[in-house]
This record gives sequence, C-alpha cells and structure tokens, in this order.
Amino acid sequence: MPRQQNEVRDLDEGSYVMIDDTPCEINSYSTAKPGKHGSAKARVEAEGVFDGKKRSLSQPVDAKVWVPIIDRKQGQVVSVTGDDAQVMDLETYDTFTMRIPEGEDLNPDDEIEYLEYEDQRKIV
Amino acid sequence: MFPGASADPASAEYVVVGAPLDASTTFQPGARFGPRRVRHFAESFDDYDQYTEQRFTDLAVADHGDVGPTDDVDEYLTFLRGTLADHAEEGRLPLLVGGEHTVTVAGVRALDPDVFVCLDAHLDLRESYAGNPLSHATVANHALDVADRAVILGARTGSEAEWERAGADDVTVVPPQAVADWEPDLDGDAYLSVDIDAADPGYAPGTGTMEPFGLDPSTMHEAVRAVAPRAVGFDVVEVNDRDEGQAAVLAAKLLRAFVYAHADG
Repeated sequence: MPRQQNEVRDLDEGSYVMIDDTPCEINSYSTAKPGKHGSAKARVEAEGVFDGKKRSLSQPVDAKVWVPIIDRKQGQVVSVTGDDAQVMDLETYDTFTMRIPEGEDLNPDDEIEYLEYEDQRKIV
Repeated sequence: MFPGASADPASAEYVVVGAPLDASTTFQPGARFGPRRVRHFAESFDDYDQYTEQRFTDLAVADHGDVGPTDDVDEYLTFLRGTLADHAEEGRLPLLVGGEHTVTVAGVRALDPDVFVCLDAHLDLRESYAGNPLSHATVANHALDVADRAVILGARTGSEAEWERAGADDVTVVPPQAVADWEPDLDGDAYLSVDIDAADPGYAPGTGTMEPFGLDPSTMHEAVRAVAPRAVGFDVVEVNDRDEGQAAVLAAKLLRAFVYAHADG
C-alpha cells in the first residue's frame, strides 16, 4: 500500500491523510491544548478523495498517522459513454473507465489529469 | 467531572464540554476559570428535581472535559465547533460551559439552529469590538450568520448602532422587566445561550462585564425551562472567579435546569 507515516502535526489543509483506511483530503486542521502538561490535540476534517464522504479525526499532535501517496497522472480520453469516460494512461497506455466529474464536459482525445491510489482513480 | 455527569460518553444523551477561553475579556478577566468553578459549585446539588420528578444521574449526562484554547481564537473555534458537532452527530446534546461568550460562536456553528435565544445583559450585536471581530461583544451578530432569528432576553445595554441593528425584523429584544411574562414563540430548533451577566450583578458578581438592573435567578430559571424542550444546544458562559461562587452556582443550576426540562420535553 503506497503510504508513509507522519505525525499529526505535519498535516495541513490540502494535504492527504488516511482516515478509516480511506485516503482523504484535509479541508480543516485545528488544534486545542488539553492542559499545561498534556500535548496539544489536533482535529482534522477531511473528505474522501474518491468517495467524497466527510470524515474527521482528533488526536494528539505527536500521534502517528498514515499519509497516502496519491499519484497525479496524465491520461487521454478514448471514448465517452454517459457519465463515464474510457481513459488511456499516457505513460503506460493502460486503459480504464472513470466517472466524469459533475459539470465537466469531456470529449475523445481530451487530455486529462487524474488521481490514482491503488485501484481507485478520479479525474481532477 | 460535572457532578452527576457520570454516563459513558458513547451512550450519553447530553455532554458537558468546558471551553475556558479568556482572550477578549474587556473588563474583569477570569472566564478561563468558569468551567472549573461551575463544576465545583454544582457539587452541593440534590440529584432529584421536584419540577420534573427526575434524577440528574438518570438522564445520561457525560463530561467531555475541557477543550483548551490556543492563542489562535479563530482556529480554536474551529476545533471546538468540530468537537461539538461530533457529539451532536452521535446523538449527544452539547452543554457548553465557558469561558467568554465567544465560545457560543462555535456552538451555534456546530448545531445550526433556526433561532438563537440568549439571556444576556448586552446585545452583543457588534461586528467587531476594539478591532476584534471575534470579541465577546459580537456573539449575537455571528449567531445571525447561522440562525434566522435572535431573541435576546434581559438585554439592557448596547451601542447606538447595536440598538439600531436590534430594531431589524430578525432580532427580538425582551427587556428585563418583560422576561418573566415572555413565552417562547419559536419556529424550528433553538440554541440557548446563557450569559451569566444577564443576572443582576447582585446575584452573579463573578462575571466579566456586570450590568445593573438585571434579571433575578428565578426569572432566568423559568426562561431556561421554557426554551429547553425546543433546544438543540445549550451553553452557559462568562462565569469568572471574582466572587464567592454566586455566578458559578447559578450557572450550574441553570445547566441542570436545562437538562431536566429538555429531558422532560
């Protein structure tokens, strides 16, 4: 599984973190101090990169968390069927089907960027 | 732990959350000691409530402990909002104990009520105070970013601009002498905030900004009990350590009254 271990304190808005074994993008990072002799606590609110679900975690800033290594890749649209596009990776020439994001209008031969983590992919 | 708040948080219906923020206090500081004082002065209360014939320890109240502030108040409110929202999502009604009144902003943002009901000596309708948009004097203004209406009970002071703002359709001000006869006419969910300075300083001198000609405790008690059944969140704020416990004991009793009345619903 492509991921690395970091401390909670290293997280920031816009970066990725694993919550409930799901890669998430952080949209809010805040801290509170439990007391003079405890370590500060951080609260992370995030959204699943691939499923869009909201998740949160609240842990001491020196706790260890997993950060997913999500690849950003280049692809080309081969064909469009309804809400799905068949895309060919421009490096490996692998083809796969991905859901077209709402509001996007894709046509064959369009070059796109997509995120990939294990077997999950998402057009950005 | 707040006395009687001994339930397992996982199965609790209510949760006490201390928020000892003391950053923008403009006159007498000490609100950071509010949660500690409120818990301490609740120790002498009976478990049984004769009005609703319930025991506090039967009402599944837990104590989350305090959420300690950092120097960044905006970030602290984000953390606190998230903590309160987590409890609400898991079916626990938050009972927030301040701290200065600014902590209410986190409560309102977490609970997203239709109506903001506040017992307060001050209108708190300023957009900022002393250059600080998160001052304790701006709380009702922030609450109206979330709620459709604000009802301010016992208000008796404010700037000229605040009184002008209070004249708008989305604000109802009930002066101290009219609170005893006030009956809630609330559309939707309410968030109830009790600034202890709503009480006359003779009853609650331990607060940051005392204002004479205030409410008596029995009137506050009845107002809290009247709003509680419609409330999705509650706080009591602005208790400090500058008295012999009068402000804290009143705050603690009003918190308990809220829980009894809400549970009796």
